[in-house]
Amino acid sequence: MILLCSGQVSSRHFDALVLFALQLERLGHRVAIDQRFLPEELSKQTRYEMAPFLADFADISPQIVVLIGADDIGESAQAILGAMRLEHTVPIWALGQFADLQTEITARNKIAYAVGYEPHLLNLTADHRPNLFNGSITPLLAQIEKDPQQAPGKSARVLVYSPFDELEEDDTALHHLSVVNYSPNMALHLVTNAKGKDLIRKSRHATLSVFSYGELPPTDLLNYFDILVFFGPNVPGERMALLALNAMGAGKVVVDCTESSGFASSGAPVLKGPQDPAALSGYLHGTVAQNRLEIGQRILQSEWLHQFDIDAVLRNVVARAKVSKSPSKTPQTVFFPTNGNGVGHAQRCALIAEAMDPARTVRFAAFPSCVDMLQNRGFACVPMVPRSADHDAEYAADMLNYLRLRSLVKTGDQLVFDGGYVFDSVYRLVSKLQVRATWIRRGLWRQGQVNPIALERERAFSRVIVPAEAFAELNTDYSSGDDIHKFGPIVRQGKLSQEDITSLRDRLSIQFDRTIDTLVVTMLGGGVASERTAQTQLLCNVLERRSNCLHLVVAWPNAVVSNSLYGWQNSHVIHTARTLDLCQAADLTISATGYNSFHELLYAHVSAILIPQSAPYLDDQERRARAAFERGLAGFVQDTELLSLEREVSAFLDDGKAQAVRDALMKEVLPDTGNIAAARLIEEGLHQ
Amino acid sequence: MVQLLKQRQMLVSTEETRAARRVGTGLSVAYVLDPRFPGGTSSAVAAELEVVTALADVQVYALETKMFGGRRIAPRLSDTLMRLKLPVQWDAKEIKADVVIFHNPSCLKFQEGIDVRLIARHLIVVTHENFLRPNGAPGFDVEKCLSQIASASLALRRSLAPISAWNRSTTLEWCRENRSGNAWSILDQDWFNICSFEKEEPTSTPKDRRGRHSRPGLEKFPGYDAMACCFPATADSNVILGADSFLRAGAAPPHWSLHPFGALTLKDYFDQIDFFVYFTSPVWRESFGRVIAEAIAAGKMVITDPETARTFGGAAIEATPEDVDQIVSSYIAEPDRYRGDILSAQEKLDRFSTEAFRDRFNVLVRQPMGVIP
Repeated sequence: MILLCSGQVSSRHFDALVLFALQLERLGHRVAIDQRFLPEELSKQTRYEMAPFLADFADISPQIVVLIGADDIGESAQAILGAMRLEHTVPIWALGQFADLQTEITARNKIAYAVGYEPHLLNLTADHRPNLFNGSITPLLAQIEKDPQQAPGKSARVLVYSPFDELEEDDTALHHLSVVNYSPNMALHLVTNAKGKDLIRKSRHATLSVFSYGELPPTDLLNYFDILVFFGPNVPGERMALLALNAMGAGKVVVDCTESSGFASSGAPVLKGPQDPAALSGYLHGTVAQNRLEIGQRILQSEWLHQFDIDAVLRNVVARAKVSKSPSKTPQTVFFPTNGNGVGHAQRCALIAEAMDPARTVRFAAFPSCVDMLQNRGFACVPMVPRSADHDAEYAADMLNYLRLRSLVKTGDQLVFDGGYVFDSVYRLVSKLQVRATWIRRGLWRQGQVNPIALERERAFSRVIVPAEAFAELNTDYSSGDDIHKFGPIVRQGKLSQEDITSLRDRLSIQFDRTIDTLVVTMLGGGVASERTAQTQLLCNVLERRSNCLHLVVAWPNAVVSNSLYGWQNSHVIHTARTLDLCQAADLTISATGYNSFHELLYAHVSAILIPQSAPYLDDQERRARAAFERGLAGFVQDTELLSLEREVSAFLDDGKAQAVRDALMKEVLPDTGNIAAARLIEEGLHQ
Repeated sequence: MVQLLKQRQMLVSTEETRAARRVGTGLSVAYVLDPRFPGGTSSAVAAELEVVTALADVQVYALETKMFGGRRIAPRLSDTLMRLKLPVQWDAKEIKADVVIFHNPSCLKFQEGIDVRLIARHLIVVTHENFLRPNGAPGFDVEKCLSQIASASLALRRSLAPISAWNRSTTLEWCRENRSGNAWSILDQDWFNICSFEKEEPTSTPKDRRGRHSRPGLEKFPGYDAMACCFPATADSNVILGADSFLRAGAAPPHWSLHPFGALTLKDYFDQIDFFVYFTSPVWRESFGRVIAEAIAAGKMVITDPETARTFGGAAIEATPEDVDQIVSSYIAEPDRYRGDILSAQEKLDRFSTEAFRDRFNVLVRQPMGVIP
């Protein structure tokens, strides 16, 4: 294991530690960063990046200590080194930009005084190696590939760095840059700082794909482009310098459009592009796009570039610690359904997983509310941590989940994520490992939910599966492209025969010790998204007056159940996964209109009264309920209409409406389900 | 800031000073140094000036090097200069004297040249910093510093003046390994730090009261295991002055009494100890070890590493940290031997006395100058 330290304790030095750790990890090394180098202030992005590396020295046994920024070592760093009380057999390597012999001597002395033995020094500016970014603390080194790592075919991915100042000063700059995206053979991404991203999101080019400056580390951002373009006054910082260097090392094309020709003037094998964004599109099409692979090959042969070969420069430093990483022997598919409450997304994933070839290795990363259900269906689960008000930061749980996912998912595996918002953990994992990733993204979003921010992470996924709604008017295209795959509704099915229904009702009769003339099932949600105690109480009250009536109130995992529901004779709160069977056996079902429940009721021809939930983060359940109601396929009551609910219950149970709805359902032609098609698509991902 | 420093100098004309001081020696001596060195260099120069001003026409020239910034002249040196009414000339362009004594060339390590011309019959560079560390690693970029002085000087003879036996060994080794060392002769005798401390009687009832004092730099301290050997819980007390790094770390054992640098007067400190146990980082050594002399003069038994002990020719006990317990207990068991050895050590300090320095200086500066060998 390599333990990384820095010459100072500061945000800038810590950022450099993380960037270097990521580079070493990419080479296959095990890396740790001593937590005593944590600065006081840390951004969320830095926390995610550092999380896999941060270590308490007491918990590790480093084989090598590497100290970066060794040209300026402060007392704090010396104190930390001294406190380690390292065995003299642990080599210490000090990396820095040592301007002269005295700087080297000073560094060597400071470390030696702190630890009691001599370190080794590596001067990153030795052998006349050009200085791409003066004063860089991050060792600017690149992994050099044998062949250009560019996407094949005509279409090129372009990443353009533009500083906020330029976007703000020139309101046509963004327009000119966006022209690049109009070409069918170019896919444009922008990278800028947070202010720049905000400016773009508020402009008429809001749908452009934009990365924030620190959104992903350079080692991962590398995977998103074939051509990298820099605007601005000069080389814009260590991160971008590292990105440019590694882009060259990967045989990607780097175009220097900076005012000072900061990259080109160092001798780097970059193309000198136009400083005016208006000329970029023409330049890329005319000069770069068609020749990008050849340009990439020439870059890889550049002697300038090979001066920065990380393997060559560090061969004496880290040779001993190298650990080879092999991809998974048996590729697995890992499903990660979102949600800390309820089982809807997990249910959908389980349905697809069940439709896959049983020989495939399938695992789940699942939140606690779903684990029992998944394990009962035979799936191995790695538990994920749900958000909690007890956590210091709202993303604390997701950061931990990121670490768990990194342990679970390996190169060669594939990840299937089901949810509306792509967690940072998923986004970062997929960006880093470049595993095949599928996003199951059901639709029917509320108006405020549809925005470029929600959709921009689609770029991390190889494909998007859109499980359709049963009714055409409920389907909307939020994005388009060859990677979007629409399938029929993904629904749990299992039609019970009349004998099954009779048998089930008999068993219920025994279990609840009563004659059952009327069976009603209520499943109005977990009480988290929407409070439904009043409606449930009303139903309990209405059904209490009926003789030989059994009313089952289904409580989802983590549901909030009022104590007042436990006092009724006819009504009982139950926890079960067999809701489909119960609904088919029931005379009446009262249900919310989440995707799964709604479609199960439709396809199983269950007669139901629908009461949609309305939390802002949910899908538009009211539209779904109305679509069924308007077709006569269900009853529909708003959550506030308690008297209407009572009347509707009577209509269904006493006035024949339940049978009428049932008859309508049996006549309705619904789309074919998409379970198997989705499963096949996901299985294809393992072969690619 | 430098202007302020310069304004602090006595407003006495240079000629008046020379007239008042001239004792008919006909010898001019120029002291050249960066007067902002906080430790031994400035203290040593201050002590020398007390002696040399009576022997020669002395001028003091200050270099504003890149080693220091924003500090004042070291207090001890400043006091001496004021008392002797010696003006300091900052950044003179030309320094001419029979003997130019350049104290501590390491002040030039952060710059590429000095804008001064040194003209002398004999240019002596006093090597206050060890050229090499114990394992041969360079103490500083000696070549860079000496070449600046050589390039700026015109002298019949250029000499390096080591200040102790250990310092001499590092100087000799460096000269052997570096061709540019051939341009320098090495004085036969050490240019020692004058140690004219008032001597205190050693106690006749020594106890296991241990201590050490130094500036707070990490190089001044051995590793934790060695410190634990030197200052165990079994000692009656362990007083560590200059323990800033331990205080910051907050990880020292409870049986150490830690004080930051300067927190106690030396008298108060020495009153609390009978054994001065002094080891440095294994990768660094004192070039002279003034603190050793202070402790001996204060009537304490000094235990230190062999290289440092060698400077004081038997006045300090050579040992390793593992030997300390046994040495201390044997002296406690034999208080007469304790007293006798300390008194003997104090006599040995006379070789670093003012008189000894005066004699040596007189012999040195009146040597005939030939060409550089």
